[in-house]
Amino acid sequence: MKFNLFRAADGTEGGGSPAGPPVIAAPPVVHSSAPMGPTKIAARDVSVFYSGKQALYDVTLDIPDKTVTALIGPSGCGKSTFLRTMNRMNDTIPGAKVTGRIEMDGEDINAKSVDPVLLRARVGMVFQKPNPFPKTIYENVAYGPRIHGLAASKSELDSVVEASLKRAGLWEEVADRLHSPGTGLSGGQQQRLVIARAIAVEPEVILMDEPCSALDPIATAKIEELIDELRERYCIVIVTHSMAQAARVSQRTAFFHMGRLVETGDTEDIFTNPRERRTLDYITGRFG
Amino acid sequence: MRAARLRAGLKRRYAREGRFRLYGLLAIGVAVGFLLLLLGRIIEQGHTAFYTHTVTVPVYMDPARVDRAYPQGTNFELLVAEQQLARMGVADDAQGTKAAAMRSLFSSELKFAAAARIQGNPNLVGQTVPIAAPVSDDADLYFKHEISRATPADQRRLSDEQISWLDRMKASGLVATHFNSGLFTKGDSTEPELAGVLGAVVGSALMLVVTALIAIPLGVGAALYLEEFAPRGRITDLIEVNINNLAAVPSIIYGLLGLALFINWMHLPRASPLVGGLVLALMALPTIIIATRSSLKAVPPSIREAALAMGASKTQTVFQHTLPLAMPGVMTGAIISMAHALGETAPLLLIGMVSFIPGIPHSLGEPTGALPSLVYIWENASERAFHERTAAAILVLLAFMIVMNAAAIFLRRRFERRW
Repeated sequence: MKFNLFRAADGTEGGGSPAGPPVIAAPPVVHSSAPMGPTKIAARDVSVFYSGKQALYDVTLDIPDKTVTALIGPSGCGKSTFLRTMNRMNDTIPGAKVTGRIEMDGEDINAKSVDPVLLRARVGMVFQKPNPFPKTIYENVAYGPRIHGLAASKSELDSVVEASLKRAGLWEEVADRLHSPGTGLSGGQQQRLVIARAIAVEPEVILMDEPCSALDPIATAKIEELIDELRERYCIVIVTHSMAQAARVSQRTAFFHMGRLVETGDTEDIFTNPRERRTLDYITGRFG
Repeated sequence: MRAARLRAGLKRRYAREGRFRLYGLLAIGVAVGFLLLLLGRIIEQGHTAFYTHTVTVPVYMDPARVDRAYPQGTNFELLVAEQQLARMGVADDAQGTKAAAMRSLFSSELKFAAAARIQGNPNLVGQTVPIAAPVSDDADLYFKHEISRATPADQRRLSDEQISWLDRMKASGLVATHFNSGLFTKGDSTEPELAGVLGAVVGSALMLVVTALIAIPLGVGAALYLEEFAPRGRITDLIEVNINNLAAVPSIIYGLLGLALFINWMHLPRASPLVGGLVLALMALPTIIIATRSSLKAVPPSIREAALAMGASKTQTVFQHTLPLAMPGVMTGAIISMAHALGETAPLLLIGMVSFIPGIPHSLGEPTGALPSLVYIWENASERAFHERTAAAILVLLAFMIVMNAAAIFLRRRFERRW
């Protein structure tokens, strides 16, 4: 069972006082093994080079469906780089080169026949800094369905927007101001807006690159709760600097160090019984 | 000890800050001073061009001298001068010297106005009709106190006698002072009192339309391609360096290029707004490209990433997100380069606008003047009355620019609000 410690009593963000102990002090909670889906993404010997400089070395990792997989490790360890290979965002960086094989549902996503535009409709992404478009809340969420031609009519689009905002837990806060700018929301609300924008196109995978690092503890708790709810429908991969967060939200954890995947396994095992010395040192705060 | 040192250092730091502020204020003061001096000088010289004097004289349409069917053939100026002399009781000599002197106080407009009256109504022949026309440039200058009796007679363009005639005409209420609407409704003329800036304003406006239509889409398109699509590499770098260099090429070179390319090779009409606009577009291109690129660069990469991660294609990202966000900067760059183009003189002189062009253009292919070239032509004119008109033309040019810059600010605000 997931805990729900930090939700404000009235269910709003920042308004009431947290009903539990502060997030920072929370001990790493170990999940009982949640039901995991079959392998959604399979990475085999994935290496990434930026202008000839290698940033990632031969990563082989299976990412199960309907599961939250946390990528942890110190800064510059390659976890974000690996995350960005899964929706081919590295394609947009001049001089970036990806080798190895990444399969999604058995299909090579780097194949010539795969259009990165279509891939990104299947693999959504949430960034470290909330980056809503400088448009209205409605336009932000409607953007994906619009460019991919997913909504046939205005009313269909309206219902997609509403459903996405509801699923992202933002509907009640913004229902009366859908046509005000998305950039006017608080940081935590913006991040949930961005998540709503990502799920509006019904992706299969959601990649999150340190989604809470710019947020306060209460907003963080809300996002974590949301991630746990989204797990039922999506394959989620989250990069995080916070060990406590990895422990709270993920079922699988992969520890990266110096561009290599050091260890991967059930979150519970990684945090209680790491096999590698480096993992132990990192999770106990001896470096990182 | 430590506290004393800190305090001493603090004093020095504040003193340095104070000095720096003072330098800043001085710099601004000097700049504003020069600007005011310049503007003040132009206004002082030019304000007299905005009013003028007309004389209304009763003309007896002598049937012996005015042909009903062909009034244009009549020497109305001489007719009027002789009648005016007679009314004033001045006897002329055998050579008609006094009539000639009187005649030179009226502008040639008098002849056209009188002929037009007869043409409109031939029955006026034999009657006395009041005809109004501007006074000549020298008479106008006298009424504006720019020619005075104090100057020795051999150093001024009006004789004592002419001045006394002018005084008498003014005293008898024939001379009226009013706003010089002709300055804004007429084309250029060799006679200052009949010259106006309309031809040049229309010419400049037509040229700017051509320039804007060519330079803005081309420049923004080139910048978009270079910034967002072009592969980074040696060729892109080379193009970038060349564009930056082109922005610094003297404008007269563009004039030579325009002359060789558009007139001598493509045989486009000389001195036309089309050629002028093309040359100015060539000149404005590098500036627009540079301004557009820098405002595209200033768009936060997080927005591009957001759009790409949503599955937007490169083109969708650029046109739905990057360009709209860069739009205020693009507009500012475009309008500044247009304002620059508006004031550019050298290339226009080279493509033929240095010649006297009296007409007001109605199409892109007709020869036309432009405001800056008109300023140049008037400044070089020998008639003294053109001096005040030069300053007036400069004021019109400045007003044109202020209107454009105001439009730029308005557009920028509008686009900014439409995030």
